[in-house]
Amino acid sequence: MDNDTAFNEGQRGRDHEFLVEALCWLPEVTRFALSLERDEADADDLVQETFLKAYEAWHTYMPGTECRGWLFTICRNTFYKRRQREERHVSCDDPELEALAAVAVHASAQQGGYADLFTRFDLSDAIDASIAALPEAFHEVVILIDVNGQSYESAAALLGVPIGTVRSRLFRARRLLQIALINHARDAGLVRPQPNTGVFGQGSQ
Amino acid sequence: MKKFIPRWLARLFSMKGGMPSASMPMPMSAPMLDCESVMRQLWDYLDAELTPERMEEIRMHIEVCKRCYPQYQFERSFLDAVAARGRTHSDPERLRANLLAALRSNGLSEA
Repeated sequence: MDNDTAFNEGQRGRDHEFLVEALCWLPEVTRFALSLERDEADADDLVQETFLKAYEAWHTYMPGTECRGWLFTICRNTFYKRRQREERHVSCDDPELEALAAVAVHASAQQGGYADLFTRFDLSDAIDASIAALPEAFHEVVILIDVNGQSYESAAALLGVPIGTVRSRLFRARRLLQIALINHARDAGLVRPQPNTGVFGQGSQ
Repeated sequence: MKKFIPRWLARLFSMKGGMPSASMPMPMSAPMLDCESVMRQLWDYLDAELTPERMEEIRMHIEVCKRCYPQYQFERSFLDAVAARGRTHSDPERLRANLLAALRSNGLSEA
């Protein structure tokens, strides 16, 4: 076997590995890109650039490690580079306190007649709008964990922050989303709140 | 194409006894963990991020606690609604074909 033949066979082997291990995540990467980019054509470009970069860097991928997370990292970094956006750092409360704050939201929802809000009404558009309106740091943890099913650990590795930061951002983001959706339901007249309840002002966020 | 199932939902379905049902009778008091501890860990529980032992403790508490069960239902229905919002591509086959063409033009030897 001459050197050219050996090189070509090695190349074909690497390409086959790439197709089997990386391309199988195309639906997930597409879903992730669609959650980052509003426009589908922009998401297409982002997906293509992600996989082209992954292909070029395939020799750096460690077999057996989580390929989806690796692709998400490339996708996210590419997104920020394309948009030339800076990652925004936000301060969050302790995750334990954020978790307990959810109790207050639920109590207010119960008092206002919104306890079954998420099962009684189709809030699809309002959820999309509320997620899109979240500050970037909160938006991306919701997209990674709640929409794309990543673990806290995977999200932390992808974002380059401690797991505690991911938890506090996530719990805060969920609280902001719930408040926004309850306010949406009230404004849309989906449920008539009880007097003096069910209203979340700016100060409650 | 892989079917997307939220981790917390898959984990809860696989747990012994399954998820508590709305028709389940709720005793006045709950054993073991106190309600505040459960509330502090409710998101972690719903995200299946706790140890199997703690997951089981919280599941048992929620099943029998009339204070925590409504909160659990509220948060679970919220997460269900959000998880369902992942956008889908209008033409995934076209996207895949275009991607493979781009990869080939960048040297991919088979597709």
